[in-house]
Amino acid sequence: MEALETAHRFAHDQWPYESKFRRVNGWRMHYVDEGIGDPVVLLHGNPAWGFLYRKFIKPLTAAGRRVIVPDMIGFGLSEKPVREQAHTLDGHIANLTGLLRQLDVHNATMVCHDWGGPTGLGFALSNPDRVRALVVMSTWAWPLPPAEFHKRIFPWRMMHAPLVGPYLLGRHNALAGRGMYLSVVDRKKFRAEAQSVYEGILPDPGSRLLTWTWPRWIPLDESARGLTRFEWLERELRKSKLPTLLVWGREDEVFDHATFATRFKELLPHAEGPELVTGRHFLQEDSGEEIAGKINRFLDRIEGRQP
Amino acid sequence: MTEIQVIENPALEGKRRALVLAEDRVGHYPEFREFFVRQFSLGTNGPSRPGYVRAPSGMIYALVFVGRSGEPFPDGIEIYALPDALEPLDDPEVDADLWALLRWMIEGVGGEWRVDDLDATGRLYQLSVVADV
Repeated sequence: MEALETAHRFAHDQWPYESKFRRVNGWRMHYVDEGIGDPVVLLHGNPAWGFLYRKFIKPLTAAGRRVIVPDMIGFGLSEKPVREQAHTLDGHIANLTGLLRQLDVHNATMVCHDWGGPTGLGFALSNPDRVRALVVMSTWAWPLPPAEFHKRIFPWRMMHAPLVGPYLLGRHNALAGRGMYLSVVDRKKFRAEAQSVYEGILPDPGSRLLTWTWPRWIPLDESARGLTRFEWLERELRKSKLPTLLVWGREDEVFDHATFATRFKELLPHAEGPELVTGRHFLQEDSGEEIAGKINRFLDRIEGRQP
Repeated sequence: MTEIQVIENPALEGKRRALVLAEDRVGHYPEFREFFVRQFSLGTNGPSRPGYVRAPSGMIYALVFVGRSGEPFPDGIEIYALPDALEPLDDPEVDADLWALLRWMIEGVGGEWRVDDLDATGRLYQLSVVADV
C-alpha cells in the first residue's frame, strides 16, 4: 500500500474515525469511510471540513449505510494548494469525481452543503449512473443572481477583496473563527465544542487560501468565472428526476430558505421539503442528529424499508 | 487620513525582504488593479521596479507586482517588509502597518469602496488593529 493511503487518527474525541487518503486529480485528498451499505457522501463547503458531519456518521452507519466524508482539497486534512490558480470549480468537481471513482461508488446519496453543492451536484449530474438520491442544504446551483448578501460591499465583497481577503481571512483566519461563529444559532455550544477545531485545522495564513478564493467564485455578473458551469448546473438539475430532500435552517440569513429552498423546489418539483430545522448557514452544528434522522427516513422511503 | 507615504528609491543597504502578504488576483475587482497602475505608473514602468511605501511604524514596504501571461498587468502583488537584515519582524506592528495599507488602498480605489466599510468589516471580525483606528 502506498504511504499515501495509510490511515491515522485525528486526535479529537468528537472525531474518532480512521483517516484515509487517496491521490486524486494530482492532489492528496483526506476522507473517512465508515460502515457498510449503499454510500451516503457528506460534502462540506467553505471553510469547513468533514468534522461538520461528526453528528451524522453514527446514526447513518447504525442504519446500515456506508458513509464517505471527503475533505475538499484546500480544507481539513487534505492537501492545501498555495496558489489561488490551483482552485477552480471544475477542478473541485474533478477532485470529487476522482475520489468517488477510485472508491467505485455506486447508488450514492450526495449530501450537499455550501460549496459542497456546486461540486456535489456537479458530480451527480455528470455521473448519473453512480447516484441515486440528493440531499440539498443551504447552497445554490444557478448563475445569477446570488443572494442580496453576496452583492453587498459590507461585509461580503469587502471581506474577500484584493489584499483584504489574504489579510482578513488569511492572517486573521476570520472565516473559520468569527465567521462560522456568527453563522450558527447556539454560539456558546459552538465555541465550546467546535470553533477551535475549525480554526486549528487551518493553522497558518498559507493554509487558508481557499477561504477567500471560494467567495471569489460566486458569480456576481455575466463576466464571472464559473458562470457557464453554473448555467450547466441549473440546466441539468432541471432535468433531474433523482429523489431529493431539501433541508434548510430556519435562521439562515445567507442562503435564506424563502429564496434558495424555494428556487430548488422550482427546479426539482418532486423534491421533498424543505424541511426546516434550527440552524443558520452551518445548520449541521445546531441540528446534526436531527438532520441525520431525516436523511435516514428519506432513504428508508426510497428503499421501501419499514420505519 | 492616510498614514501611508509613497516613497522613491529608499536606502536598501542592510535590509532584507520579508514577505508579509500576497495577492494572486489583484484584478478580481478591476478597480483595485487600476489603483495600483495609477499609483505606481505601472503602465509606463511595468515590472521594472517595486513600489515603495512608508507605513505608520516607519517600516518601508516593497510592493512587487507580478505578471501572468494572458492577464492584464499586474495580476498579483507581493508585499515585503524591509527590516534590518538580521532582525525578526514585530508581528503586531506589521499587522497594523498592513491595515493602514489596506485603508490607503480602499481610499484610493474609491467609488463604491469606502474606508468606513473596511473599518466596519474589521470591527465585525474583531480585529484588534481596528480599535486603534
